[in-house]
Amino acid sequence: MPPLSPDWSGVLGNPERKDLYFRQVRETDRNIGSFLSFGPEESGAEIPREGSLTGIPVAVKDNIAVSGRPLTCGSRMLENLKAPYTATAVRRLEDEGAVVVGKTNLDEFGMGSSNENSALGTTVNPWDPQRVPGGSSGGSAAAVAAGLVPLALGSDTGGSVRQPANFCGVYGLKPTYGSVSRFGLTAYASSLEVIGSFTRDIDLMEKAFGIMSGQDDNDQSSLAYSPAAADSSRVVMLKVEPGMLEEPVARAYKETGEALKSAGYSVEEVDLPFLDLVVPAYYTIATAEASANLARFNGIRYGYAPDFAENPAELMKKARHEGFGKEVKLRILLGTYVLRSGFQDQYYGKAQKIRTLIRKELSAVFSSSDLLLMPVFPTRAFLKNDPGMDDYKQRLADVFTCLANLSGLPALAVPAGVEKGLPAGVQFMAPAFAENRLFTVARDLSDAFPLQTAPNFMDIGGLL
Amino acid sequence: MKAHEKYEVFIGLEIHIHLKTRSKMFCSCKAHYGDEPNTNVCPVCLGYPGTLPLVNEKAMELGYLVARSLGCKTAERSSFARKNYFYPDMPKNYQISQFEEPVGTDGAVEADFGGGASRKIRIHDVHLEEDAGKMIHAGDVTLLDYNRAGFPLLEIVTEPDLKSGEETEAFLRDFQRLVRYLGVSDGNMDEGSMKCDANISINLPGKGLGTKVELKNMNSPRFVRLALNHEIIRQAEVLDAGGSLVQETRLWNENRDITEIMRRKEAADDYRYFPEPDIPPFFPDEAFLEKVENGMVELPLEKKRRLHSEYGLSREQAEFIHDEAETAHFFEETVKSGASPQQAASWLSSDIRKLLNRENLSLVESPLTAGRFSSLLKLINDGRISGKIAKKVLEKIFKDNLDPETIVENEGWSQISDPVELTSLVEKVMKENPGVVSAVRAGDVRQKGFLMGQVMRYSDGKAAPELTGKILDEKLEEKE
Repeated sequence: MPPLSPDWSGVLGNPERKDLYFRQVRETDRNIGSFLSFGPEESGAEIPREGSLTGIPVAVKDNIAVSGRPLTCGSRMLENLKAPYTATAVRRLEDEGAVVVGKTNLDEFGMGSSNENSALGTTVNPWDPQRVPGGSSGGSAAAVAAGLVPLALGSDTGGSVRQPANFCGVYGLKPTYGSVSRFGLTAYASSLEVIGSFTRDIDLMEKAFGIMSGQDDNDQSSLAYSPAAADSSRVVMLKVEPGMLEEPVARAYKETGEALKSAGYSVEEVDLPFLDLVVPAYYTIATAEASANLARFNGIRYGYAPDFAENPAELMKKARHEGFGKEVKLRILLGTYVLRSGFQDQYYGKAQKIRTLIRKELSAVFSSSDLLLMPVFPTRAFLKNDPGMDDYKQRLADVFTCLANLSGLPALAVPAGVEKGLPAGVQFMAPAFAENRLFTVARDLSDAFPLQTAPNFMDIGGLL
Repeated sequence: MKAHEKYEVFIGLEIHIHLKTRSKMFCSCKAHYGDEPNTNVCPVCLGYPGTLPLVNEKAMELGYLVARSLGCKTAERSSFARKNYFYPDMPKNYQISQFEEPVGTDGAVEADFGGGASRKIRIHDVHLEEDAGKMIHAGDVTLLDYNRAGFPLLEIVTEPDLKSGEETEAFLRDFQRLVRYLGVSDGNMDEGSMKCDANISINLPGKGLGTKVELKNMNSPRFVRLALNHEIIRQAEVLDAGGSLVQETRLWNENRDITEIMRRKEAADDYRYFPEPDIPPFFPDEAFLEKVENGMVELPLEKKRRLHSEYGLSREQAEFIHDEAETAHFFEETVKSGASPQQAASWLSSDIRKLLNRENLSLVESPLTAGRFSSLLKLINDGRISGKIAKKVLEKIFKDNLDPETIVENEGWSQISDPVELTSLVEKVMKENPGVVSAVRAGDVRQKGFLMGQVMRYSDGKAAPELTGKILDEKLEEKE
């Protein structure tokens, strides 16, 4: 088995090894499709900066800005856009010596859970090319799972980091809302989303999170980071109705509870009666915010523009009609609908009330426990164009992940074994700023569930 | 019966002012007019994906200051909202504005309608927002300039408490003075740093508000008056003829002096407001409120009344002196250093005003300081120069930027008040004009002025007038 986190510093600093690395990634990714754009910076001359991440190649979801690189958001609308600036989270990693090597595929503007909504490419699951990598940050999850990079960034609006991490058998962190600056993250649902990360190495994830987190002058919703108490011995485990999870997922879930007990944790079951409200509230808020956030794409200042328009109004109309995919249009329409005056109390206002209620309920849960154990998704990675997993079912299945987004709390997807060639996993949620508990519990489980590698995992051992 | 006698008129205003801040509302780009198109722009104000707004705290401060000056309840918690609508010059296709928690609400300001008439006008709210860019149609292309996109705007919404075009014009002029006194805005409607839309409805007395018509495109307080008065008559004619009014937006056409329909409003615009998730609510702390408090000044109306009561200025004089804060300040400084208020006011409103207009200068820019003005008045009152010479000294101050004493000394303009010197001048003039002298002595006193004039001419206007007159009288009474 290849080392989880080999010393990368010698690879990108050495021109020959660097070339070899880039060639090998291109070769491997031909069958996976995790990158929408890949390659060294055009200036080419860069030698990794000295720092705690020197030489670590990073893949960045293509809805996060990296100056000079494309920022397509997986949309025809922004196919030709180059970012004029760099996101704070990325800049902080670069300042510590990490090197961005490419931009990864995603569901258009982060809307989807299979990567099938990307207008610009197809990504498959490295464990099984017939299956999806999950979404929306599927490209980043696949890149890490395939060994192309040790670290990748994604964004998590309703589970977009944790679900693909779960499908690809890697760690996926959704940090506390506000702990990592959103400056440079293309907004889909501003009050719900945060930049998260993928690794196969929990130490690297903790280090990267430490670097990225903290108040940012370019994001007024960002917060100074002050870690919560590290105590993590009391776990509550969500009671899941029989039949809600597919069998291998249910098994992994149960085994995780047992493994925790063996590792010295107390584990108790808990009922969350408000769980039914989570998905409707989430989609109401997410689409409402999306309808405003995506209004800026109108073909005028940048992005897709039609060849001809009679006037500015027609230009905007054509650009949006031709530039957006159908899931994006659907969510914009839904969001416009729920924000109509006279209907706000009924939809948007009610969703916000549910959100407040959920926050209260969760803080009650955490008053007597340190961690909440939950499934990530009812199934393992599903098939491409899976008729049993239509768009509606996919949205319902977000129930376990979007809880963390509605409450702003941190959550980590942790692999829990591989069943019939497909990874299964669980997630832990913690109170605000208690990411440290998540890293600890993941480490404590690594003996029970050693990380496994996907077929055709790219071994960089030869490069070192 | 005239329209405004038969019908009750309700006029409310939406006033926008550009706040005088160095940078834009949500980014650090310069908030500056007149630069090359699209030079004061950045990814934030161009609405690039991933950018976030950062609130300009100075604009916040000025917003609270105006709210406070308009008697509003200032917000203990203030927040922004997104106002959604598509327009090509609006980079994000939503405007960051304030909706549920504006900086100020429920205000009232006393408006002075002249002739002692005044009334409280209620302020619905005062809120901050960002401006859009500018669209220029040139032939078959449309050009866009985003320099103005993100300029800090303050919108003041009044209740429909105004009753006529005249009242509204007076209110707007008061308001312009207010924002200039506070230093928060230039308040120029023709240059676009202030904009005013009006809504107006009329109804039979006691029937409450009528059907609201919105008026736009009025580029001066005068046009606001004309447009409103035109609209009152137009609406009255419709009602008188048994018709009914339609809720619509109309534009003032300043070339034809009429309002013209722009669009019908079948239903209210739906801006789908919701709280701006990128900006946390603002809670003013003590240091902030202190800054706001320090920005408070004596407001124009108080000042006008005090000028009248404290200095005994006439209403007209007070009106003129208080019009610009700097004039009022200048006036009070001059009086403080010993000048008589009446004298200072009349010089300010006549000769000095004329000179400023001619030189196209403001008082602050001009070489005339309150100290210089005060010593000029002192020279007159001490009898060292005549009023006529004082005017020449004033000109010289503007021309040479010198103190009045220096000018009088350099030019030798000190008044002649030596009786011996004056007597000899008077005698000289009488000798040269024996005919006139005889006529005066024979009773034609009107011709005495001619003799005075001649003395003035010989003395280059420096002969002290009173003393000269006395000596002339004495000499004329002496028999030959």
